[in-house]
Amino acid sequence: MESKLFNLTTPLKIIVSITIITWCIIALFPLLWIVVMSIKLPVDSFASNPLKVIIGPSTKEQVGGLSFVNFIFLFLSIYLFYKLYQIRKILFDLINPILKFSLITFFILFILYITISFILFFLIQNNLSEFVNILFSNLEFLKIFSYPIIGFTPQHYLSVWVGNEFYKQFLNTMIVTGGVVTISLTVGTLAGYGLARSNSMIAFWLLIFALIFRALPHSVLVTGYLEPFINYGLYGKKIAVIVLLVAINQPFTIWMLRSFFMNIPQDLDEAAQIDGCNPFQAFWKVVMPLMWPGVITTGLFSFLLAYNDYLVAALLLDGQSQTMVPAIMQYFNMETKMTDLVESIAAAASITAPLFLLVMFFQKQIVSGLTQGAVKG
Amino acid sequence: MKKILVLFAIFTSFFFLAGTNAKACELNNSVPVTSLSAGFDAWKVVTSAMEECGNFTPTLDQEYRDKLVASLESNPSQFTMAGVSASTNVSVLDAGVTRPLDDLVAKYGDSLQDNQKIVIDGKIMAIAMMTNAQHLFYREDILSDLGIDIPTTYDELLKAAKVIKDAGVVDYPLGGTFKSGWNLGEEFVNMYLGFADSFFDGNMPAVNNNDGYETLKMMKKLTEYMDPEYLTSDSTYVQQQFQQGKIALANLWASRAGAMDNAEESTVVGLVKFASAPKAKKNGKPASTLWWDGVVIAKNVTDEEAEAAFKLAMVGLDPANLGANPEAAPWLSNAFDPAPSNIGAILTAKSGAAPYPASAKMSTLHGVLGAAIGDYLTGAATAKATLEKIEADYITAATEKGLL
Amino acid sequence: MKKSTFLVFTMPSFIMMTLFIALPLLIVLIQSFQFNQDVLETIERENCDPFGCKTETITVPVLDENGNKIKNNIWVGFQNYKNILKFEQLSSVISNDGFEWSKIRSIDFYKALRFTLTFTFITLPFVIILGLILALCVNVLINRLKGPIIFITLLPFIITPVIGALSIKWLFIGDGILTLFLENILDKDIALFSQGWTIEILMLFYRVWHTIPFAFVIFYAGLQTVDKEKIEAAFVDGANRLQRLRFIIIPHIMPLIVFVALIHLMDSYRVFDEIVGFSASGFRISLQWMTYDFLRIDDSGTRSIGRASATSVLTMIGIIIILIPVLRRTFKEQKEKKL
Repeated sequence: MESKLFNLTTPLKIIVSITIITWCIIALFPLLWIVVMSIKLPVDSFASNPLKVIIGPSTKEQVGGLSFVNFIFLFLSIYLFYKLYQIRKILFDLINPILKFSLITFFILFILYITISFILFFLIQNNLSEFVNILFSNLEFLKIFSYPIIGFTPQHYLSVWVGNEFYKQFLNTMIVTGGVVTISLTVGTLAGYGLARSNSMIAFWLLIFALIFRALPHSVLVTGYLEPFINYGLYGKKIAVIVLLVAINQPFTIWMLRSFFMNIPQDLDEAAQIDGCNPFQAFWKVVMPLMWPGVITTGLFSFLLAYNDYLVAALLLDGQSQTMVPAIMQYFNMETKMTDLVESIAAAASITAPLFLLVMFFQKQIVSGLTQGAVKG
Repeated sequence: MKKILVLFAIFTSFFFLAGTNAKACELNNSVPVTSLSAGFDAWKVVTSAMEECGNFTPTLDQEYRDKLVASLESNPSQFTMAGVSASTNVSVLDAGVTRPLDDLVAKYGDSLQDNQKIVIDGKIMAIAMMTNAQHLFYREDILSDLGIDIPTTYDELLKAAKVIKDAGVVDYPLGGTFKSGWNLGEEFVNMYLGFADSFFDGNMPAVNNNDGYETLKMMKKLTEYMDPEYLTSDSTYVQQQFQQGKIALANLWASRAGAMDNAEESTVVGLVKFASAPKAKKNGKPASTLWWDGVVIAKNVTDEEAEAAFKLAMVGLDPANLGANPEAAPWLSNAFDPAPSNIGAILTAKSGAAPYPASAKMSTLHGVLGAAIGDYLTGAATAKATLEKIEADYITAATEKGLL
Repeated sequence: MKKSTFLVFTMPSFIMMTLFIALPLLIVLIQSFQFNQDVLETIERENCDPFGCKTETITVPVLDENGNKIKNNIWVGFQNYKNILKFEQLSSVISNDGFEWSKIRSIDFYKALRFTLTFTFITLPFVIILGLILALCVNVLINRLKGPIIFITLLPFIITPVIGALSIKWLFIGDGILTLFLENILDKDIALFSQGWTIEILMLFYRVWHTIPFAFVIFYAGLQTVDKEKIEAAFVDGANRLQRLRFIIIPHIMPLIVFVALIHLMDSYRVFDEIVGFSASGFRISLQWMTYDFLRIDDSGTRSIGRASATSVLTMIGIIIILIPVLRRTFKEQKEKKL
């Protein structure tokens, strides 16, 4: 019955395919393009002929490029990664019983995958394929496969991460983001649970006010903080930004977590309390284990907010404490040469990589989390 | 086999990382020092020499003035030292966030000349390293092909632009640092000083007059020969336009002159020459302002850090270092033989251009100018309305600050 | 749940919101009626630089014994609001020359307000309609394709907004490849960053591009919960695809549409990253950008805290007005749930 119901007529099929293909191109193109630009010499990156930007003739001539062999290895490592990615559920079930706390397992798996992707791309891709390349170029009949097809230079990434010590800003961002996610979720789950289980007027007004707070432009809050923060020496301290972002994020977090908690039957914690748990034990031992899709979905939104923030960090952090997004904007301000500009682009492209992995990893959770929870509240 | 390869890979990448830290500085700096400054070539020359001494992290940011005061004001200061210009020096002075350098100069500053010492009420507060000014850059080949003399006034410049455009050599003959904000404000300041002498009457602005009107008119005429995206065009953009052969004439910073002959980026090596900034009135002075750039050391750092920072600065400003990079800027140094690229700045100063009249009220006006003029240039507001808006906005801002 | 337990659970969040949202709001409100000034004095100062020595009479801040500026807050009533709203200029424009938009636009606040509102309300229908279409399309795909397509779709949403805006800007600025492409098609010289409206369109496009995935993922999640039996029943009754969409699916996800609209209104009203990313401040400014601009330190080393606060308060009033219908609805809904 169902299959018949969802069978599409041919014109509809065409419309659907066209819509999706068009959207995918629009969604991907700007992002792919900055990646392409970032691996070319400035002469090629800013060439007016798009083919030149993609193929990069000058880059190929001056630095070298990716050969057929490199591409084979590239696809191989992507395929390998994809295969590993597919078995993440099995890995999860393997590790989880040992740790007994799914959030931590998830985190460990995530780190593991980041490491694996690094190894795949930097070691196998870079060195192994280079080795084969050299091998091939010495063999008469295989030589052709080692000729560069597309110009490629990692020099901009190297000068960003090594030369300009971008990892410092990366660490700052990680500290800020980590702090925001942890504190947001801790404070938010408690409040979300309280709000979901209470019928009092205070709870009602708290929610209404949170909704209004959610609407406030961030600059309004920064205006209020700035003077006191500077007077009390909090300017340039990461903790100031963390606290601020947690507060900014709090309304959304409690609304979202509340609706997740509402989906967990109240009988459950009541039963636990009858069995002798105090409310906190009931919350921690009975309700929380059921909450992790909700926590992950909400945590992801907190992560995005903190990781992507420009306004707050730009106004409050500086120098050694600077995070990545303001640092990149500053790269653009420092550019006085074309090379600087391509370096900024490389920096911009590299901060999207963690986000990329994050979505890859949590995509299912986002959709299922939203299906279960937030969308009903 | 695979294991060996992986090990080999790790080894090579470490080797690469280590390779970037080669040292060529005699001073072995052990105290961490940080700096904030603009990012043009001169600063790159100075800070990269300092980086070789170790433990030094420069922040190069063309918009550094946005955060200079706030970051030095915090305690401890976010940066040990900073690079300032004539105008930003006033803002750090007023905020009292920099320290007198007399002791340090006496101890380590033998290589400094007297004109490098910025002395405020008898105390050395900053060390200047270079002068700077916007002056004429021109494509010698284009001008001589078309038989145009080097323009000395803006009227001649406009005529030249018309000839070049009509001849179809380039689409847009002129370049200009007209990016809204500080750059655009600076263009107005330069041009206005070609017509008049003073921006103020006491603390009240005095630009809403015929000179102001002429200034705006002239700026608009110039934009007619520029790439229409001029409101986003900063020094770097104009520099690139030159390097890619897209423009023939521009009034650009002396610190950008060296880049014209940089073979890696420029397609016009040897073709761009420099002259004094054009005059606005036939018998007036060049429509440009003279600037200096130099270093200051934060007050809110320990004496030990300040000393390390000063010693590092002396490495960066070492006459030998500056003398080895003459094309980067018109340095203030005795070991310095002016490079051909410095000629424009020297000529501009010789023909009597005024120093930038740095003060708190000037900075306020500068900000207002940079925000207001864009609407006039795009045709959204009339010249009269723009001058009125400038005056009104200045009064608002100055009243809020307590200047009025 | 007992009241005391409830209080324990919500206390940390409550304290955070009071301390870091409500309190700053109060501070902003107070600051908006004040000038935050340095105490100034006029002195003579001898200044020697490479261009010679001169003694000037200048106004400088007074420093205390630690060398810090002494700050002084002066109550000025509605002066900050007047400086921003500029009623006199507004009324003179309206009374003298009839209603002329170009002149009103020269007052920053109205310029920013106009852009912010256009931005908010024009992007809204695009985001909802396109997000819904996309969700419907992906929903009928075969399962194996769903994963990758959802992944690609989510990318514009998760990417750092400033970087996303930049990536689109590079395609168009100067002789960017898409500008050249357009020039080839239209056969004329195009400079997208030379006038306001083209930049505005790019900014609108960017925001729609950035938000569609959010609308999509919410709607897609909603579509998973549509009652299959209802659809089957409608199918049996002979309802066609469009009718099923209109009478079953849309009513089912209506609360989600409201939810997306609400979040989108809130988010796009605070448009800011686009202005930075597209360097559009010479042409278009938004309310939040105005506040940011006042908060930035100018060359003379001061911030316009007073005007920043006044703009903030006005911005806040604006969003509350926009949200009144939604707030009332939520208010009622939540109240009914309680009673």
